[in-house]
Amino acid sequence: MRIEKLSIRTITVFIFMMIAAVAIVLSLFAGNYFRQSALDAQVNSLSRVIEVASHEMLKATRNYTFDLGMKLGNSAELVKAVDAVGNPDGRELLIALLNDPFINGFVGVSKINLVGVRVYDLELNLIAESSRGVSGLDKHLTPYLGGIIKQREGVARLKAVDGLWSSSRGPLYSTVVPVGGLRLRGFLEVIVDPVFNLPDIGKITRTPVNVFSIDGKLVSESKQGDIAGFLPVEYELLTSDGQPAFRLVGYENVERLNREMEETKIVTISGFLLLSMVTLLFALWLFHRFLFVPVSRMTKDMERMAKGELDHDVNKTGLREFYQLASSFNAMANQVRARTDELRDSQNRLLQLLDLDDSAILYFGNVNEVVYFNRTAIDLFGYSYDEMSDMDSKDLFADDIDRLMSDSVFQKLQAELHCIRNDGERVKCKAVIHLLDIMGESGFAIALNPVSNDRHSSQRMEVVEESLNSILELARKNPGLMMGPLGSLYSESDDEKAVLREQCVNVMCTALACWEHDLGRNKLDLAEESRIWQVYIDKSTPTTRTLDKYLNVESCPKNPRCQRVIDTAEFVLRAMGQKAQPSQEKLKTMLAELRQLISRVKVKSR
Amino acid sequence: MLFKLQKIVACFLILFTAELWADSKPIAPENVAGAIAVSAEEVIELILLNPDLIVIDSRKKTEYAKGHIEGAVNLLNTDMNQQSLEMLAPDKTKPVLFYCNGVRCLRSADAVTKALDWGYKNIFWFRGGWNEWTEKRLPVISD
Repeated sequence: MRIEKLSIRTITVFIFMMIAAVAIVLSLFAGNYFRQSALDAQVNSLSRVIEVASHEMLKATRNYTFDLGMKLGNSAELVKAVDAVGNPDGRELLIALLNDPFINGFVGVSKINLVGVRVYDLELNLIAESSRGVSGLDKHLTPYLGGIIKQREGVARLKAVDGLWSSSRGPLYSTVVPVGGLRLRGFLEVIVDPVFNLPDIGKITRTPVNVFSIDGKLVSESKQGDIAGFLPVEYELLTSDGQPAFRLVGYENVERLNREMEETKIVTISGFLLLSMVTLLFALWLFHRFLFVPVSRMTKDMERMAKGELDHDVNKTGLREFYQLASSFNAMANQVRARTDELRDSQNRLLQLLDLDDSAILYFGNVNEVVYFNRTAIDLFGYSYDEMSDMDSKDLFADDIDRLMSDSVFQKLQAELHCIRNDGERVKCKAVIHLLDIMGESGFAIALNPVSNDRHSSQRMEVVEESLNSILELARKNPGLMMGPLGSLYSESDDEKAVLREQCVNVMCTALACWEHDLGRNKLDLAEESRIWQVYIDKSTPTTRTLDKYLNVESCPKNPRCQRVIDTAEFVLRAMGQKAQPSQEKLKTMLAELRQLISRVKVKSR
Repeated sequence: MLFKLQKIVACFLILFTAELWADSKPIAPENVAGAIAVSAEEVIELILLNPDLIVIDSRKKTEYAKGHIEGAVNLLNTDMNQQSLEMLAPDKTKPVLFYCNGVRCLRSADAVTKALDWGYKNIFWFRGGWNEWTEKRLPVISD
């Protein structure tokens, strides 16, 4: 695509549309991104909630195990039994005391699932364990709790320790308290199954929570109804020594969140797009008001001035740069106007000079067509102005001027030429022929004087040459300013001229064919009856030299008299009357095409 | 307009008073002159090393029943008079330890002050009290 075809308005609107499209895409992208961020934040939040709830659950469990441990550890019977464990029946007595909570219950029995009670000596060796509850546990204190107690010294050993630990039967929770109160005799371990308390997490978080073992088995299932469509949030509960114990999956009802996010998204995007569109439209209006309109107005004004309306001014109303541009252009146009006026004056003076001269002066173009002739030339040859315009050198001179010029080695040649007048009379004239080359197009100028009249033709020709050069140069640069054949010499492109000539020849050939074949008349009849074309008498023979030129593209004048061609075609059509014949239709069609072509050329030249 | 201004001023006063009240919540003094302040671990050492040590729990009876230090005797500070104390500790030279709920509790400080006034010479004050004891997960006795 050529950049000249694009207007500032098109580019600006395109850029604005691109910005609008980018704004829409970005807002949609941002909406989805924020929704995902909100869900991530929700997941993180619920994960933290589950973590805190699980710690709360373990804390509550710890309080019950601590109370039970203190109850047993401070029991005088148990202390005595620990002291007497080496005696016969001492161990059985101790085991019976350890079984007592399973049998008789304890404060908080419904709150925890007691699976074992064990007693260790001061070196943490297992002395005895309850025969009730879970069996098959390792016969030693879990290394994590044992390590803490062994690290402690003095009264610090009296402090209770707790921990979630992994046993061969799954994760368990233990609290170890001293036996004997402040007077340490050993240690008592209360072991509970934490799975019993895990559903409490769901009660704390008020969300459905399913508990899975690390190998993926469902340990505890929420009873809070349908969780389809809920957002699952995972949290891994670790043992006290950092090993994974349970996988907790909380389910967050994000329906409301999604709905609110969707509403927020719609409102935000709509607001953003609305604001963007309003801003863009406002910007577009500003562009229209301060850029498009002034530029369009200036362009139109400049086009009018370029077509020759130099009296017109470019409207300066606009922003500073446009004002400066228009002012500069107007200043330039004023200069051009002044120069043009000067040139026009020069042209008029020159043309008046040439008309005042008593020599016949003619200028022929590169195809020997008459380009300029003065009033004396019209008088000498006896043709009208229009007829002279259609002539070429062969019509006006009996001599072969081309041959004369080609034989000459000079640019200037003096000779005697035989001029052919309108009435067929031949007049012998002294002539000075001067070759001219204007902008690559060769031509020649001829100054004619009757044989006895003037001996200063050569001097005159120099003046004529100089004048013609000036006029032709002016005609080339300012075709709109020139009148007559000179005006049209450079006014249209060669292509347009060729097409116009070709169409004129086609119309004339068709009209003549209709005249001859459909009406049975000849070419001379057409010229005489129509009174459009001149009939010449050459050697007592009537000829239609001018009409003949319009029957061949090569001989057709460079600037054909189109109105004559149209008049001829209309005359033939009138003569044919109402007879509907194919040739008549063809002539009508070609005439219409010629008219269209002429109007198109006129529009362009305007 | 004036009524509205009055309401605003009233709100400010309420807030200001509440702030003052929050700041003036009772805190036990760092120490009581004449008494020795001890920590939970030092309490255990005192109990183990001094069989004659009398531990007095200055809290309410219900609080005492929920849990107390091994060997402690309940005597609410407001109920404590010279006679009741002398019944528990007739020898004013023997060590007596007071505690209550903790730093936000003034009962034991009050009891310590009274005991010192009554001529007791060997007074220990467990300022951290029951809160410090349970936070450290030390052995407790409950009824």
